[in-house]
Amino acid sequence: MAQWRKRLAATVTASFFLAAAMAGGQAAAASSQGTLTYSWSANVGPLDPHRYSPNQMFAQAMVYEPLVHYREGGTIEPWLATAWTISPDGRTYDFTLREGAVFSDGTPFDAAAVKANFDAVLSQRSRHDWLELIGQIQSVEMLDSRRIRLSLKDPYYPTLLELALIRPVRFASPSVLTPEGVRSPVGTGPWMLTETKRGEYDVFTRNPSYWGPKPAYERIVVKVIPDPTSRAVAFETGEIDLIYGGTGQISADSFTRFKARGTGQTAVSAPLATRTMAINSGRAPTSELAVRRAVNHAVNKDAIVAKLLYGLEPRADMLFAANFPYTNLGLVPYAFDPARAAKLLDEAGWTVPAGGTVRMRDGQPLRVELCFIGNDAREKALAEAIQANLRAVGFDAVLIGEEENAVQARQKDGRFGLIFGDTWGAPYDPHSFVSSMRVPAHADYQAQRGLPMKAEIDAKISAVLVTTDETARQTLYRDILTILHEQAVYLPLSYLTAMSVSRGVDGVGFGASVYEIPFGAMRPAP
Amino acid sequence: MLRFIVGRLLTLPPLLLAVSVGVFLLLRLGRGDPALDYLRLSNIPPTDAAVAAAHQLLGLDRPLAEQYLSWLWQALHLDFGLSYVTRRPVLDDLLYYLPATLQLGAAALVVTLAVSLPLGIWAARHRDRLPDHLVRALAFVGVSIPNFWLGFLLVLLFAVTLNWLPPLGRGGLSHLVMPVVAVALMSLCINARLLRASMLETAGQRHVLYARLRGLPERRIVQNHILRNALLPIVTATGMHIGELLGGTLVIENIFGWPGVGRYAVSAIYNRDYPVLQCFTLLMTVIFVLCNLLVDVLYAWLDPRIRVLREVGR
Repeated sequence: MAQWRKRLAATVTASFFLAAAMAGGQAAAASSQGTLTYSWSANVGPLDPHRYSPNQMFAQAMVYEPLVHYREGGTIEPWLATAWTISPDGRTYDFTLREGAVFSDGTPFDAAAVKANFDAVLSQRSRHDWLELIGQIQSVEMLDSRRIRLSLKDPYYPTLLELALIRPVRFASPSVLTPEGVRSPVGTGPWMLTETKRGEYDVFTRNPSYWGPKPAYERIVVKVIPDPTSRAVAFETGEIDLIYGGTGQISADSFTRFKARGTGQTAVSAPLATRTMAINSGRAPTSELAVRRAVNHAVNKDAIVAKLLYGLEPRADMLFAANFPYTNLGLVPYAFDPARAAKLLDEAGWTVPAGGTVRMRDGQPLRVELCFIGNDAREKALAEAIQANLRAVGFDAVLIGEEENAVQARQKDGRFGLIFGDTWGAPYDPHSFVSSMRVPAHADYQAQRGLPMKAEIDAKISAVLVTTDETARQTLYRDILTILHEQAVYLPLSYLTAMSVSRGVDGVGFGASVYEIPFGAMRPAP
Repeated sequence: MLRFIVGRLLTLPPLLLAVSVGVFLLLRLGRGDPALDYLRLSNIPPTDAAVAAAHQLLGLDRPLAEQYLSWLWQALHLDFGLSYVTRRPVLDDLLYYLPATLQLGAAALVVTLAVSLPLGIWAARHRDRLPDHLVRALAFVGVSIPNFWLGFLLVLLFAVTLNWLPPLGRGGLSHLVMPVVAVALMSLCINARLLRASMLETAGQRHVLYARLRGLPERRIVQNHILRNALLPIVTATGMHIGELLGGTLVIENIFGWPGVGRYAVSAIYNRDYPVLQCFTLLMTVIFVLCNLLVDVLYAWLDPRIRVLREVGR
């Protein structure tokens, strides 16, 4: 008996010592000087500049550079091209390439390299069908070793904007280009991918031959952490130095907690895209203008922003925030005004029957299907808030929560009354987003389908994309966005932002798009 | 015995075939479309043309039967296709991540057995006294706590508050502690309870009474006459626990950033990565079948009665 006890006691003691030894053996969590530790939900991929998943955009942007660079507000600045001229008919672009830029393997960046990359992209045209520019390119010629000419079918004005995108038009060293993609990731950018451990991390090292200002950090380690909660814990325990991105990176909950406790430096970016709902003009009862306007007046966006979005996303009154090109139009927002909404509905003949709560007309209740992604807690909460707001003016919203793909299918074929959808954000807004409104497979097309002036809208969109006259372009955008606003086919809710939380890092700013993380400007805090 | 093992192994191919058909169809019964997920991951707007192109790229534009047969033919050559997401050979990816999962599962199994056996014995020997109550309370709590919640609690206490253990990743022993505890606790509690009950039942049997009459020392009675007989149900249960532990790693790997097949499979589920899920299911089936076979062999080896029955049955 006694021996049993002794043995048990010995086992217990031994396990305690073992546990203590394990705890003691833990490596110091703090990262070494000169290394910034970030995290992402997956490995960055093979990093082919001309391909999509599994290549991660933020990492492609670290290694590869564009001819021209997109800055916040939609202005374009020189990058690998130092100058360019556009022919009067808007069909020919001549670029002068930067002197002194080299790929990290020593290959010079010149017209031949640019041509080779365009050839690689154009040999896979169907892969890039979604991007209008690729379809517009007729030919790419070398004028001399430092100049290149791009010829287009139409005078497509967003050419420079789309050349600035992270993919597909960025440049890998011709020495690694093969018909099957790049052999290894070699670009001109400030970072080189130097190590990948599947499922664990990727390491980027500063490119010593970079033509531009050298980043302060020597290395960036990107740990693979798929779960936002785990990521928050990793930050709290010092495993990573930086969280940067949208709600996929960090939940608003964790962000507010870090901010309140001062766990790290927190910051919120300017609007990067719009969180909105499309209102279906092709289906009763939202086919009536008065009903759509009533929806816009009935929803209390300020309360939604404060209570459900933690005040992290500013209230949206328009489809595009005013910091985007051509969108600062001074239109009058639909103010939160339930009385006005009720009056609009009354005038349209939708009245509350005696003893009832839902408005009726000709025996039909005023009812709309509100569709959202059922397992997205945020969308569900928003949907419920909007439902309550609508109910307050006698408007019955039926909540339909489904999985993401099913909701996408509804967006494509128009089986919705109200449905969530975000705009694409910089640098796609407004031009690419507006362009997609002409495509039936988009919720926007479906939402606008019932408008009497839909054909006119589409014609104006087609015109604005190819006009070379700046004033005409402004006028066309004003017309398009004004019609959409007055017809109330959208219920903009808030402007999406990026968030950052950092510790021991100075100079954490925001890029012009959520996919471009300005690691170059970050430096270790003294 | 050899015949028994070979016989059992021969049932594996038809089982795998049935599983592969079942999984193939079940995956496609879902309403989702992997092409849409592929486009979402690629940040490409899902226009009709883009969806059609993605269907073609992923081989989803062919009739279902043709898809299955070509998959089967390739699978027979151990080619399970390319992952929709990573665009790498699926088997290669899974085998790359498998050792981490096996390490976690094996460590959890060791902990389960190493802790549950003493606990069960302790409780049984002090029936209805404090140790027994403690073990029963622990078992009740342990069985009721979902492992992912326990995982988060452990992280909160040992990583965030006390800063004793690393919150995630794979590395030294310290990285193993929390995920192993989170995965093992439930099996451990079930095992302890089971052993306690089994020991008490055995202790009431006649041969134990006779042993006492023979004046054998208590320790020998417990070791040779109670414990050895009481262990049989534990062997069976362990076979089932292996499944439980491997299943548990699916969730736990995500919480602790453990680079194993579980985490890989969960993201594959999220992204509707059919080839990965098909191969993963088959791989898990093989592992389960082999583990259960091992348990059965062990069982026969431990218990002569079963061995004899099998011989007689033949």
